[in-house]
Amino acid sequence: MSVLFKNLRFIRNGKISEPKNFFIHDQSFKELVDSSESEFKEIIDCSSYFASSGWIDLRCGLGEPGQEYRETVESLCQSLISSGFVKAVIMPNTDPVIQSKNEVDFVLNRSRKFGIDLEIMGAVTKNTLGEDLTEILDMHFQSGVKIFGDGIKPLSNSDRFMKILQYLQKFDGVLFDHAYDPLLSIFGQMHEGEISTQLGMKGIPNLSEDIAIQRNLEILRYTGGRVHFQTLSTKKGVELIRKAKAEGLNVTADTSIYQLIFKDKDLMTFDPNYKVNPPFRSESDRAALIDGILDGTIDALVSNHQPQDFDSKFSEFDLASFGMAGLQAFLPALVQLSQELSWEVLIEKITAGPSKIIGSQNESVTIFDPTQSWVYDEKSNKSLSSNHPWFGTSLTGQVKFVFQKGNLQRVNE
Amino acid sequence: MSQLSTRHLLGIKDVTESDIRLILETAANFKEVINRPIKKVPSLRDITIANIFFENSTRTRLSFELAEKRLSADVVNFSSSNSSVKKGETLVDTVNNILAMKVDMVVMRHASPGAPHFLSRNVKANIVNAGDGTHEHPTQALLDSFSMQEKLGDLAGKKVAIIGDILHSRVALSNIFCLQKLGAEVMVCGPITLLPKYISSLGVKVELDVKKALEWCDVANVLRIQLERQQIKYFPSLREYSLYYGINKKMLDSLNKEIVLMHPGPINRGVELSSDAADSAHSIILDQVENGVAVRMAVLYLLAGARN
Repeated sequence: MSVLFKNLRFIRNGKISEPKNFFIHDQSFKELVDSSESEFKEIIDCSSYFASSGWIDLRCGLGEPGQEYRETVESLCQSLISSGFVKAVIMPNTDPVIQSKNEVDFVLNRSRKFGIDLEIMGAVTKNTLGEDLTEILDMHFQSGVKIFGDGIKPLSNSDRFMKILQYLQKFDGVLFDHAYDPLLSIFGQMHEGEISTQLGMKGIPNLSEDIAIQRNLEILRYTGGRVHFQTLSTKKGVELIRKAKAEGLNVTADTSIYQLIFKDKDLMTFDPNYKVNPPFRSESDRAALIDGILDGTIDALVSNHQPQDFDSKFSEFDLASFGMAGLQAFLPALVQLSQELSWEVLIEKITAGPSKIIGSQNESVTIFDPTQSWVYDEKSNKSLSSNHPWFGTSLTGQVKFVFQKGNLQRVNE
Repeated sequence: MSQLSTRHLLGIKDVTESDIRLILETAANFKEVINRPIKKVPSLRDITIANIFFENSTRTRLSFELAEKRLSADVVNFSSSNSSVKKGETLVDTVNNILAMKVDMVVMRHASPGAPHFLSRNVKANIVNAGDGTHEHPTQALLDSFSMQEKLGDLAGKKVAIIGDILHSRVALSNIFCLQKLGAEVMVCGPITLLPKYISSLGVKVELDVKKALEWCDVANVLRIQLERQQIKYFPSLREYSLYYGINKKMLDSLNKEIVLMHPGPINRGVELSSDAADSAHSIILDQVENGVAVRMAVLYLLAGARN
């Protein structure tokens, strides 16, 4: 036998196990009960490591096709693996938009050799303009797409939102919704509040998200179907989802991990790396997101990885693109959050939580060291983009192994 | 001679009270200079200053240029109403090209909030913010405070109402920060759609009735309606604005006290100010313009001293 993982603690079903020994046998990751250590060619001391089911990211951006300088399928897959993810939902905001079986097949074919499962979020409206529906059934029945949504674009037309929810019911499809009212956030650059007032910047009010979530919940109540709300950022948004769940509506929700790390105060230096949508909000919004994670209102944490090239971020704030790279800083962000949320809860939000939403069976394993320091720089960066405020700094928390489909991958060596 | 604690003037928010007072004291000396028969001093004769204006400006650009010339600096001007990005060149590239010609200081006006902060991180010259979008216009606030002090003495406890389009005004924000650091009380007044929702978090009073604001204040600083910066509709018509937020001489005369009337210019006569008010004895609008040169001389002189 080849590799023995010695004294590894497994996080699953809301518990952290005592240190045990594991090995790979018959393409499965198994606990070692009787065999002696001498049978193994390599023994890895895992006493500072954790393991869990392989991680799932429900919201991830891609540049290919069309904007390969931001992120190719290859660079995205490598970023995902080295960040501990075995499965990711890919947003359709490429150029051309992923809106027919052709684009879906193109991305999936390219990803096959990298040993990672991509789930494509097929665009629901043509060119994600929020108006004419795409060929949703064709994408589903020909290319297996189960998740639909316009990615970083909102669906602000109530009639289209209603029709999409009705249409998806033919195959129990789920609509992934980034809910905000674009007119209420028009020209907005950051969270509307005390800080935007001091900086003289046009704000994106909480109202923009709150009103869209409320409207979309009412439409869901009318049509039936299933909505997964992405990147919640407001206190009221969390309350609305909590109430909707209690009423039995078929909703789930996630939030970007970096919503829990950064706040609007971080924008005081006008650094465009902090320019994201939804924007970093106030301390009370952040506290509500944490409560939502703890009580199960928020089912998943997502990377909301939105790679942007250097030039689109090296500019005046209002001219810079929205978005933050989110993959390789994901585990260091988890490590930071483990100060106030337990590892059991954090891991659930990237394993069992998202798994229920997209209905995946997950036989994979991610092994990571929450104590390992490393430098996030050009050398370690797997993405083609580096738009993260932590780029160039030393971070704590590193993924070590990903076991997927019978293959063990050593990452970040 | 005292020195500034900063090598850039990006905004008033981050300038200390003692730096503000130093600038105002220095400006008083320069005001004396520019009223002499020979208005020029050799203080900056080894300094080259670039005035880079990405937004239209008449008085601020002229005021800076005069200030620079009276300090004997070498001056180059670059004006473009489009941002550099629209022309295909980045802001940093544009400025670095100008700096390659051995320029020491950059005075920049730009439509993007934070553009001078971005520039200060990426080029070597001293940066003076001559207005960045809807963020700050620090030299305007300094000259406004200087002008108020000339008229009223120390500003501690004085009441200043800023009236008009607060939402799109860099002058309002810089004035709020500057006046508060000097101990004055500040009120903002205007149609509620032109007041930032969280403006009271800055510690200012909010008033929707212009008559009440005038009754409260010692100084009314009336702002220009920034039609060019309003991307969407905030009030129905200029007629309605002038009727309910415009200030005329009759209103000023009806107060049972003398107040000081200011405006950063250019005035939309008949909109925010009637001509009889703008030209009345209450008005110190032209003093503001004169003081602008002295204050900018002080800023450039002191920043050059903090250059290394």
